[in-house]
Formats: sequence, C-alpha cells, structure tokens
Amino acid sequence: MTGGAMDEPEPDPINPARRHVLAGLLTAYTASLIPWAVAAPVTSRAHGTFVALSAILVGHRSLDAGLAARLYDALTAVYPHFNADAQTLLAQINQQHIDPAQLQKTLDAAHSPLAPVPRRFIRAWCLGLVGEGEAARCIAYENALDAVMVADVLKPPTYAYGPYGSWSKAPVTKEANDHGSTKLG
Amino acid sequence: MAAPSSAEVVVIGSGICGALAAWRLAQQGLSVLILEAGPRIERARIVAAFRNSPYKSDWMSPYPFSPWAPQPDFTPKDNGYLIQAGPYRYPAEYIRVVGGTTWHWAAQAWRLMPNDVRIKTLYGVGVDWPITYDELDAWYQDAEEILGVAGADNTGSPRKHPFPMQPVAEPWSMRRFRERLAPAYPVVANTVARNSRSYGGRPACVGNNSCQPICPVNAQYLGINAVESAEAAGAKVVPNAVVYRIEPDAKGRIAAVHYYDPDKKSYRVTGKEFILAANGIESPKLLLLSATDKYPNGLANSSGMVGRNLMDHPSSSLTFYADEEVWLGRGPQSPSSINTMRDGAFRSQHAAYRLDFTNISQVLSVTEALIAEGVYGTEFEKQLRWRAARQVNVKNVLEVLPHPENRITLASEKDALGIPKPEAHYLIDDYTRRGADVSKKDFAKIAQLMGGTGLRYSPEGQFANNQHITGTLGMGSDPAKFVTDGFGRTHDHENLFCCGTGVMPTAATMNSTLTAVALALRTADHMHPAKSSAAAARAESPP
Repeated sequence: MTGGAMDEPEPDPINPARRHVLAGLLTAYTASLIPWAVAAPVTSRAHGTFVALSAILVGHRSLDAGLAARLYDALTAVYPHFNADAQTLLAQINQQHIDPAQLQKTLDAAHSPLAPVPRRFIRAWCLGLVGEGEAARCIAYENALDAVMVADVLKPPTYAYGPYGSWSKAPVTKEANDHGSTKLG
Repeated sequence: MAAPSSAEVVVIGSGICGALAAWRLAQQGLSVLILEAGPRIERARIVAAFRNSPYKSDWMSPYPFSPWAPQPDFTPKDNGYLIQAGPYRYPAEYIRVVGGTTWHWAAQAWRLMPNDVRIKTLYGVGVDWPITYDELDAWYQDAEEILGVAGADNTGSPRKHPFPMQPVAEPWSMRRFRERLAPAYPVVANTVARNSRSYGGRPACVGNNSCQPICPVNAQYLGINAVESAEAAGAKVVPNAVVYRIEPDAKGRIAAVHYYDPDKKSYRVTGKEFILAANGIESPKLLLLSATDKYPNGLANSSGMVGRNLMDHPSSSLTFYADEEVWLGRGPQSPSSINTMRDGAFRSQHAAYRLDFTNISQVLSVTEALIAEGVYGTEFEKQLRWRAARQVNVKNVLEVLPHPENRITLASEKDALGIPKPEAHYLIDDYTRRGADVSKKDFAKIAQLMGGTGLRYSPEGQFANNQHITGTLGMGSDPAKFVTDGFGRTHDHENLFCCGTGVMPTAATMNSTLTAVALALRTADHMHPAKSSAAAARAESPP
C-alpha cells in the first residue's frame, strides 16, 4: 500500500518549509491548473517539478504520494535527463501558458526534443509503466490511475467483480450515485 | 525418484486432450505416463505475473519461458521460435507447460454444426470428415459433462441431452446488444466451459474478466484440471521431458520415445501404445523429426500429409462507440455471439463465420489510445471514462479451408537443445477473404443498430489470429490422403494415436477445443473400450 493522497497532506514535523516548495515552482497560470496540489509536500526542486507536471498532465483530482515516489524513482533511473527535461518542460508551460490539451501538438509542431516527455508521465501514472520495449517495467497496476479513474464501475482484470451474476445489472456510475443521493436528500 | 522408463500407454503432451485421454485410460487400470516438455506452474504465480507484466495485452507474457521447451511469443518482439515462411504471417501462440495452452483460453466450448463435417459433399469445398456429427454427439456430451459446459440450445448445434449447466449470467453489455440487434441479429449466450454454479469441485464465475490469460478462481475448466484428474487416477506426469524422437520397430509399431531433460541428458521410454498430443504444431514437428532410413519423410507420413492443411480462425473486426454506456469488463470476457452465418448454401462461395462480441475491459486499450493521441489534463479522465463506457468490438471468426501448401515444416534453425524449430507456411485464401468482405456488412449494420460512432475497421486484408491450430494431423479413411483414421490412429503405425486439434480435417467456425476433447475421449475409448464409459453407452443406445 502506498502513502496518503496529496490533496490531504499530513503535517511534516521535520521541515514544514518543504511544504511550500511546490507552490514556489508554479506561476499563477500553472497553479490554476492544479489548485488542489499547490500545498503538496515535496522533498526537492526536482521532486516538486515531477509532482507539478504530474498534476498538470494527469488532471486527476489527487495523486498518491507513495506511488509518486516510486514512479519518480523509476523514471529518473530509466531516463538519464528526466529531471532536466521535466524542469524545461514545466518552465515552458509556466512561461507560455500552454493549455495541457494543446501541449503535445505544441511540442510536436516545434519538433521539440521534449516531445516524448509528457507521454512518459502519463504512461507511468495511468498504466503504471516505465521504460520502453524489453526494458519496460510495471510499477503499478490496481492503483494505476486508469484503474482508479473507473473504479466506481470496473475492477481491474483478475480482481473479482462480485458475486456470480452481479454483472447482469446495469452499471451505476459515481455520477449516477451522486445524482441519486441528491434526489433522495 | 527416477521417472518411469516404461508404461502401457505413453502420452506425449499434457494439454487438455492428452491429459483427458490419459485420465480415461488410467481409469481402466492401465499404467499411463505423460511426458510434458515444459515445467509445472502455479495459478497464483501466473496471476501475480500478469499483474506485474508490462505487456498486459500479450496473454503469453505471464507464462514462463523455458529455454529447453521454447514457445512462440511475439511481444515485445518476435522471439524467433516459430519461423515465418510466409506469405502470410502465422503468429500462433501456445504454452508449453503442464496443462498446456488452455491455461489461457477463453473457455469457448463449442460443438460443430452437423454440416461442418460434410462440406465437400454439400458445398464442394474442403473435405468430409470420416465420422458424422451424430456419431460424435455422445462424446461431445461426455466432454461437456467433464469440462462443465454452460450453454443454451439456440446456437445451431443440436444435442440429444441437456447441457450440464445453464448459460452463464448475461453481462449488461451483452443484454444491450441482444435487445438492440433484435430482430435483425439473434445474440445468444456462448457455449463455455465456465461454471454458472459450483460444478466439479470448482466455484461459479465471479467476473474477474481475465479468462485470458488466467482465471484466478478456477471457475473455468483448464488442462491442469484434466492433469490432476489423470494423476488421481494413477497416471504419472514427467515435466521438463522434451520428446525429440519417436522410435519405430522393424514391424512399424512404435517401440519407444526419447526425451531430453533441460540439461540435454537423454532418456528412453518404452510402451505398448503411444498417444501424440503435443498440439497442432509440435506434434507434426515431432513426427517429422523422427525420420529414419525406413521413414525418410518422418513417421506416420506415407501420405506426405504430416504438418499439411494447417488451419486456424482469422478474424477481422470493427471497434466503435455505442450511443449508450455499456461498460465492457463486467463479467467474463467472451459471453455472446451471433451464429446465423455458421452454415448455409453460401459456403460453396465464401467462408462461414461466427460474429463474436468481446466483453473485455476497454480501459487498457482506451488508455493506450489516449496516450498515443497526446490527451492531457482534465480531458484525459473525461475521455477515458466516456470511451471505456462506450467502446465495443465485434469480430468475425472465419472458416479456413484445408490447403496442403499451408503447413508446418522443420526449420533450418535449431532451439537451445539443438532441435529444429517449427516453420509455418501460411496463406489466407480468397474464400476466407470473401467471407470477411461479407461480414463487413454485418459489422456496419451492427454499428448502426447500436448508434455507433467513431467506427474503426481492422486494416483491410489483415487478420488477427485465434490460436485454433487445426488440420496438421488430419483424419480421414484414405491412408493416401490423411495422417490418421477416424479414431485418431495413424494409418502407418498401429499403436500410435494422435489427440488434439490437429486431427480435425476442417476448421469450421468454432473454437476447436471441445471437438478435440470429444475426439480424444473417443480415441481413448476406441483404444480400450470401457464398459463404464457414459459416451460409449450413449453411442449404443437411442436418445
């Protein structure tokens, strides 16, 4: 099991100042993309850059801090320039106010050497995979974000859905549940 | 303990067919020895290996690779074991472990249709089988009761006795297909060796949605269940025993087989009868490997047909977004299909086919597509949920006709033990391609009825393979044209029998395992008629 979600940071009794590093890496523009993460604790500028870019690219409302640490270790081990690339990319997004929806097109159009970098983030967070081809490694499965994002409806393959025949009922999504709660309330 | 060096019956291969034939014979008190090239594996380790695999769409990836018993694998790259002679690639997959390839099957346990065994007479294509569907019925029933098959009577395959189990509960997604495609297309429950209730000491399905590559809970019957039954009946299994030669005596009977252990130490095992059940590629390979001065083209090959008439089931497909949320991935992977094109006068012109709907979770493929498209930020999650809820797929399962030039031969390359690798020669003919063209109209109609958008047809002229390796040991009554007779006995060697999908002389449109199991049980009963055999009793009495 990995650590707590970053949208509910625990107090850091050792060095409370570190909790502000991430905010310090962001402009008003990038902070607006990930308001939930601005106060996330980070251990270094490079780590903060990783967390900030992860939050911007993945767009999920929270990121697991323990998984973040494992993915960061794996990515920096596999890609020698990972930290430098990430810092350059974050700086570009900060300065040019690049919309995440336009980021890949922007990098591709500019033939940027950073073009492969965003996919490494997404692949790590959403498939749990780091590295390519025969060097690929699986870091996460049931807590990779592709599983988390649909966890209200689906279990990751190999995990039991439920009692025999439970799959015959219509799926109920969290949106439908929320709607139902409102009506009941 | 040293492995036995003799047995009354020696079985080469521990897959579902070899193991059930072994079980049947061991039950009669015969000493039975099963030689398996690969190792024993544990279900829980395969489940863990899948969860940890970086190649989750490759169902071979969780299975161990043994250098002494290599198996084809094509992800992340072709491992070069199954040599491709072309002109069409034939990337067949199979698992060389105790229990064989049904470790990762979809448990599709279909019968043929009666006309499937008479396509030469009825439609002027392919060949007729040496047996009728009626003759096979009793062994189908037997196989269904052993495997625990759940199904309904509306698939086009008649039967004299009821299925042992009701169909598996229909996933919501398949219900929506059934409701929306009616009356144009009847969508019916697939016939599967998957428990819809506790059966055979195994539990009902709980919807793990990983039937391929591994059922974590033993709700679908696997070859390993057959091996365990055979062992309980007294059969012995020797894992990591790579048979590399079958030895005939001066009279043409088989006297012994020779196998290597992983260190290439050689062993000789004698027997009275031999069953070759090493699958549709490894079995002909072994017969070809066993050539002698007296049999220069290999054993059982006076017809020259060993390894020929290689068939499988190619598939083309359509992926699209339905106009409602169906959320594939709830329940088993392959629950429903359309069976109306399995037979008809059109078979004189083009391939018959089945239309199959997947219920495999789309989350992985959708995530990969979004990554490829470079979708980031909040749009990623929004798109992932929208697509995973609506993305569906229909594929055809096309009949391939037997052609002698489609074949398995011995390659010049050798494996780690110095044994020649198999080489596949494969061409998908116009008959099959015409069937694919016709099915494309069904794809379009199905998409229309489901309010489909974002239609993505598989590339024109390209087919996915279904790993239903058929035909390379084909059965027929004419020794000049077929390798085995109607009971799986090789025409050339009185005490050598073949079990497995290779003996099927045509492929029809159905996953081949149940037919191969029924034939294997029938072979065993023919070798040693059992008074207690339910199938033999049924075959003798009217329904």
